[in-house]
Amino acid sequence: MRHAQFLARTVFVHNNNVEEACRILNRILGKEEIFDQFRRTRFYEKPYQVRRRINFEKCKAIYNEDMNRKIQFVLRKNRVDPFPGCN
Amino acid sequence: MFKMFIKSSILTGIHYIKQCTISKSAFIHTSIILRKAEDRKEMLASLPAKDEGTIGEKSVDIDTLFNRRAKSFPDANTATQLFNGIPFNELPICNIRVSPNNTIISVTDYKGVPRLIRSCGIEGFKNTRKGTNIAAQATAVSISAKAVELGWKTIRVKVRGLGPGRMSAIKGLQMGGLNIISVTDNTPVSWNPPRPRKQRSL
Repeated sequence: MRHAQFLARTVFVHNNNVEEACRILNRILGKEEIFDQFRRTRFYEKPYQVRRRINFEKCKAIYNEDMNRKIQFVLRKNRVDPFPGCN
Repeated sequence: MFKMFIKSSILTGIHYIKQCTISKSAFIHTSIILRKAEDRKEMLASLPAKDEGTIGEKSVDIDTLFNRRAKSFPDANTATQLFNGIPFNELPICNIRVSPNNTIISVTDYKGVPRLIRSCGIEGFKNTRKGTNIAAQATAVSISAKAVELGWKTIRVKVRGLGPGRMSAIKGLQMGGLNIISVTDNTPVSWNPPRPRKQRSL
């Protein structure tokens, strides 16, 4: 991935709090699965391993979707402000 | 009395043998290698996860960025913004290259011409000790002292790769007296890379 230097994947440090800046950077890169891809491409992933991984990810995504739907169903609220005092 | 004692001792002996055979039966393997592999798996499972220096990668805490007044990310005007009297795009750059076995830190001017270079190996850490966070921190402290001598106190940091030195090298730069303006990730990641090397056999 080529991007403009010091524009992409850059976080400013405030009040000399380097750790906080790194944490933000790492969290974003982890969420975008950039680190995962980096780790995966260190060694060749055999086709059977790719299939297994992709199938596992599919199953996980389906499970997560269903589970989220269930949680939302259980947590549903029938009032104007669903969670008063939480804004 | 003596007879009784012998009898009981024989009995307990038999009992012991029975116990042994029962308890040992769980560990009978047809080959030694199989057992070795299992032992290794157990050992690896009991070991703590290897520190890669990526703190906060897996954390799912509520995003605190939205409530913050100060801006955390660069925009189009950042390049000309002044930091300590120097525009952002003319600040010296500190490149940190991290791998599981070593950490290499180099300081370049804003054009990318290298001025200083230090690695954990140069610093005197040898073999497996090169790939530790302590080695990375010591290297960072020593290179930052040299950079301060050059008169470069305000820098931007560019990190590349994953390894134990990732966080501690940045921390070490700060401990050495450098003022870090921004942290950039420069890890080369491709979604259609050339075929990597074959997997390690464990």
